[in-house]
Amino acid sequence: MVGERKKRILIAKPGLDGHDRGAKVVARALRNAGMEVIYAGLHQTPLQIVNTAVDEDVEAIGLSILSGAHKTIFPKVMALLKQKGISDILVFGGGTIPKKDWGKLKSMGVGEIFPPGSDTRKIAAYLYKVLEEKN
Amino acid sequence: MSKLFNEDVIEEITRNGDQWQQNAGHAGKANDREFRTLSGIPVEPVYTPEHTADMDYLRDLGFPGEPPFVRGVHPTMYRERTWTMRQLAGYGPPEETNKRYKLLLSEGATGINGIFDYPTLRGYDSTDPLARADCGRGGVAIDTLEDMRILFDGIPLEEVSSSLVTCQPICNITVQSMYFANARNRGVPLDKLTGTSQNDFLMETCMATAPGVLPPKASFKLSCDAIEYCTKHVPRWNPISFAGYNYRESGCTADQEVAFVIANAIACSEEMVRRGLDVDSFAPRLSFFMNGQSDFFEEIAKYRAARRVWYRVMKERFKAKDPRSLAFRFHVQTAGVALTAQQPLNNIARSAYHALSAALGGAQSVHIDGYDEALCIPTELSSITALRCNQILQLETRVTNTVDPLGGSYFVEALTGKLEEKILMLLEEMDGLGGIVKATETGWIHGKIADAAYEYQNDIETGKMPVVGVNCYRMDNEVLPIELFEVPETAKVQEKRLKRIKKERSDSEVQRALDAISRCCDEDGNLMEVIVESVQSLVTEGEITEILKDKYGVWNPPLF
Repeated sequence: MVGERKKRILIAKPGLDGHDRGAKVVARALRNAGMEVIYAGLHQTPLQIVNTAVDEDVEAIGLSILSGAHKTIFPKVMALLKQKGISDILVFGGGTIPKKDWGKLKSMGVGEIFPPGSDTRKIAAYLYKVLEEKN
Repeated sequence: MSKLFNEDVIEEITRNGDQWQQNAGHAGKANDREFRTLSGIPVEPVYTPEHTADMDYLRDLGFPGEPPFVRGVHPTMYRERTWTMRQLAGYGPPEETNKRYKLLLSEGATGINGIFDYPTLRGYDSTDPLARADCGRGGVAIDTLEDMRILFDGIPLEEVSSSLVTCQPICNITVQSMYFANARNRGVPLDKLTGTSQNDFLMETCMATAPGVLPPKASFKLSCDAIEYCTKHVPRWNPISFAGYNYRESGCTADQEVAFVIANAIACSEEMVRRGLDVDSFAPRLSFFMNGQSDFFEEIAKYRAARRVWYRVMKERFKAKDPRSLAFRFHVQTAGVALTAQQPLNNIARSAYHALSAALGGAQSVHIDGYDEALCIPTELSSITALRCNQILQLETRVTNTVDPLGGSYFVEALTGKLEEKILMLLEEMDGLGGIVKATETGWIHGKIADAAYEYQNDIETGKMPVVGVNCYRMDNEVLPIELFEVPETAKVQEKRLKRIKKERSDSEVQRALDAISRCCDEDGNLMEVIVESVQSLVTEGEITEILKDKYGVWNPPLF
């Protein structure tokens, strides 16, 4: 791993919901797991998120959603990435996203969803695995 | 002096205790488990008078309804009046939430506890591009006075006490004004209204790390404007509810939760005194919103310690004389963060313990979370089940028979003393930092909360903190046994209504209202005085926010 570029991950919370404990804890956990994490805070629009992801040259975007707005926000982020011709950024999610919606999100290209109670070490392991495979 | 034991007795007990520890051998090391409270306070294998040797009954505990109020804020507590059962409710457009309010009231809830959707809490209209996805989510959407009218339609405002969970001052300054304006329009005098608004500047600047919010000083000013307004015009309204609940949900510990609410209340009181109000004119209406977490005894001790600290702060710092100024009154919501998405019916048991500790800790009102808290906002069934849980606690368990039933427990008294010590240390530290507004500006509070939240998660992941269904007793192929709530269509309903209102309202009246708010900002006047009048013109919450952000600027809180 020496000399290898650290994995760069953007953690963002789209929308106006304020439940940011999970996003902040995940950001810190990924940092402690050796990744470079850009935490964008709250109130991010899908466009801001995608722009930050491009500017910061990240390999993955983690979206934390606890408002129930996942069905609106994920499709928007995915569409914007597509519009910009970006296919190499992994989008994954966390928060109160019911299992019954996971299939739909995954079919539009979203990666793993981490529900409440997820182990942050599993999130880190997942990212290392998927991002390695991509390279 | 009214010490409970003389020194000789304590000495003898200590001697015997040491002997017992040797005989018992385990002395707290039965295995490699660490015996600590959730907030990290070490716990002894057994407590005896030795641990409360310095306790002076009359000085440190007293009688219920009497200083220092440790045993309760009312003389007879639940024997005369049980806690208010206040179930949080809010979703979709106001007509939908109105139905839920009525359902809860008809099923025996004794107060309204209304939460607003994310755009409303953050000061945006439903039609704002940033708001659309979150419209009606997490609470009810309010854009204008017309929405407030619909929300409380058919609910007797002079009889029902309403808690408005406005959270951030930027929301409260407008939404609370709308509530008052609506009451006036219905012919209910403001001095007949009872209720509470949340209105906590830390909610705006610290609990949710959003860029472009009002700076701490401005948010704090709006919060104080509401306190001043209510003190003068709505004397039975609690104009602020310091949101310890949310500080705790964000990650802080039990002692931090109390220290932060009290530091916040100190800052507000100093500002009110600076504005020329007598401490006893506003302090009786400062109220607190606390979190019922999982460490049963620590929570009970926390509530008792909070009462003792508050009493001393108000008496010594502010020279308050009215007993009501000296009594720490609080609402409890059971901890959402302790509930799990896995095996969600287990949450009924968790919340019942949380609520029991609130009752044993002397709460004035209690909300019990729905079992679906970790998954969605409550369905009708989870909402009613939570209310029933509250009713069972109140009517069947007989914990209401006597006041402060755990008073005098060696453990609970020792823990109460320990928490008090930790709270006082934190208060001193914050004094050194220049008070809570400064401690927010510098990010000190943000850091404390983020650290504690991370540690909590670590304890779960290392297995140090067992969470049933999450890090032990998992059911891997679990089928979700409950229905999830779907928020009804809101954005379109609100958009349609707002469009109509904007067409029908008088532009010149709206302009006059906005100018008045603008002028009030420039003259550093009390904004609630002006906004209560302004909302009559059907000016929107978003329009008011725009002026406030323009006048006070915006702030990016530190991110961790």
